Amino acid sequence: MPTTEELKALVAQVPDPDPNGTYVNLDDAKIGRIRQVVGDLHKGGRDAVVGLIDMLAEPGQGNDVKPHFALHLLAVHVTGLGDDKARAQFALAVASQVGSDRPKGVRKYLIQELGLAGGREVVETLGQALLDADLCDDAARALAAIRDGAAEQFLAALPKVQGRSRLSLIKKLGVLCCAKAADAFKQALGDEDADVRIAAAWGIARIADASAADALLAAADRREGWERFNETDACFALAEGLLAAGRKAEAAAIYTHLGKTRTAPSERHVREAAERAGAAAK
Amino acid sequence: MGRPDGRVSRRTFLQGTAAAAAFAIVPRNVLGGPGQSPPSETLAAALIGCGGQGGEDLESYITNAGGRYRLLAACDVDKGRLAQARKKFGDQVEPYTDFRRLLERQDIDVVSIATPPHWHALLCIAAAQAGKDILCEKPMTRFIAEGRAVVTACKRYGRVFQIGTSGRFGAYKSDLGRRIHKIMRSGLLKRCPAVHVHKGGFPVRGYCGLVNARPEPVPGHLDWDLYCGPSPLRPYHPHRFGGSHRNYWDYEGGSLADFAQHYMDPLQWTYGKDDTSPVEIDSCAAPQHPEACGLWAWAELTYADGFTIVLDGNEWGPRYDRKPPRRLELSDLDKESRKKVEAMPDPEPPRSFVEAVKTRREAGGHVEAAHRAVTLAHLANISIRLGRKIRYDPVKEEIVGDEAANRLVYQPMREPWHL
Repeated sequence: MPTTEELKALVAQVPDPDPNGTYVNLDDAKIGRIRQVVGDLHKGGRDAVVGLIDMLAEPGQGNDVKPHFALHLLAVHVTGLGDDKARAQFALAVASQVGSDRPKGVRKYLIQELGLAGGREVVETLGQALLDADLCDDAARALAAIRDGAAEQFLAALPKVQGRSRLSLIKKLGVLCCAKAADAFKQALGDEDADVRIAAAWGIARIADASAADALLAAADRREGWERFNETDACFALAEGLLAAGRKAEAAAIYTHLGKTRTAPSERHVREAAERAGAAAK
Repeated sequence: MGRPDGRVSRRTFLQGTAAAAAFAIVPRNVLGGPGQSPPSETLAAALIGCGGQGGEDLESYITNAGGRYRLLAACDVDKGRLAQARKKFGDQVEPYTDFRRLLERQDIDVVSIATPPHWHALLCIAAAQAGKDILCEKPMTRFIAEGRAVVTACKRYGRVFQIGTSGRFGAYKSDLGRRIHKIMRSGLLKRCPAVHVHKGGFPVRGYCGLVNARPEPVPGHLDWDLYCGPSPLRPYHPHRFGGSHRNYWDYEGGSLADFAQHYMDPLQWTYGKDDTSPVEIDSCAAPQHPEACGLWAWAELTYADGFTIVLDGNEWGPRYDRKPPRRLELSDLDKESRKKVEAMPDPEPPRSFVEAVKTRREAGGHVEAAHRAVTLAHLANISIRLGRKIRYDPVKEEIVGDEAANRLVYQPMREPWHL
């Protein structure tokens, strides 16, 4: 367990970037030194990780090039050991600092690294971060990367957030194909924000929710421009999902509807796509 | 410009129709296509991304292929570049700062995408949804899962796609290239002993990103949020924009991502690998920074049949010396198989974009081939970023047994964007 001074001395061994600010100056000796530092940091356990995080700074508020680099290399290192316990210990150490009063830029960086090295053991921490509007999108991306246990965090946070955070969560529930979000998707299909409606349509398609097909088709029919493109696309994706689930008749009904309603010259590609897919589905 | 709710305003509609009428351009989406009236000879085009490569693909893949186009619209998040584009291409070009409004125009046949690569996939998908054919600059995507989503969208809507590299057109003209292609496609070769070493042509050092960039104020002419788009919203720094964006994982992936599609496109056609990917990838590189691309020496990518591709940066680190280069020869087949291959007809030549649009058939640099070509660069970069060998399932398009590596295959996007 290194002392603060020992840790600083260790991190100082990470080479400086070249005068232009890039790492084009790395050679065998410097790379060897980096690997040694990472190995020693790993041996230092939780205290070394937290100590390293203590050296991080908000972007533009200090020189944290070396600890920033070292923390990432440590994250990469623990994901390549084939030792899930070691990886989880690292992730928990990082996660322990996400809810701290550290600058937002630092916490975003920690969340980013959890998106690489974190697992189920950190989803609750990231779930808490979803409630912070400044961290929500980063935390949502990290959770969507982790997947395991993430949907529950999104579902729990959804009623507590608004605006862009809500959009983030609905979108990521779609990424995770979360069937438990079916009602949330249906409700959001009538939201006043077009981006939320598009996210909801996409979510319905992702979970192949046949019960929402009529609502989705009606929504897509009502829209124009960008939103119509997206919601029509969700109709196709829903039909494909239903086909994959063996629900041919319901898929065919979607294709038939699109074929009959997309009659304008500008939507010929949609009509033809629906006709092709409908024929293939028979 | 359209309205924030996504609808096209009357003004925009009138501008669009006026522009089309003024130049007597009949959009192909009105006249062209199978079973319809003969298509207009001039494609109505739009450009998204007005930087360095903006407009180049329209010349390369339409004008140089004997076609004609008229640029009607251009879009960029940088108002300065947009103004320059208008100066360069003419006053008929309607400027847009939001691609969504541009794609809502009904008089556009072809969209040329020349933004930084972190936008390519989303723009290709959106263009396909809007019924436009697509010219997409290389590299096609920023990560592997994006490519599959683009393939799905293009196939769903029957759109013609051409990647911005033309190596396979040259490979087809080569007797050697066609012979190797026939050997590979014959199915008569059990194991492929070929080793292709591509040495150099990667400015490795020049494509390293800054690791100490201090945030700067966003210039007034730039919509930084929309520029970052699906990638993380980082503090602005000029090096993350305007060409040097290539040096950051958020937007591209260094010299390897920027150049490999050029080098791999003809090779992939020659060796008949347009529908698959390597199964094992190893590399030699310096430790990689989380945001800034760094130094690498080489990457070795091996297909299930043994065919090996080596990308040797030839700038930094040790040279690749695991396997000597080795070309595939007819003599690698037994006598009977040789006769069969020699009797095979030449493969169909790759179709130009212009011909593909007219006939509604696949262009030479089609979407699946482009996806598989850029996958080589992405796989090499994943191995480089993690500093270890990875194994890949080319059917599921997933890394096998390495969770962290898989998280680089599919990278969740920032709101409101999704694949």
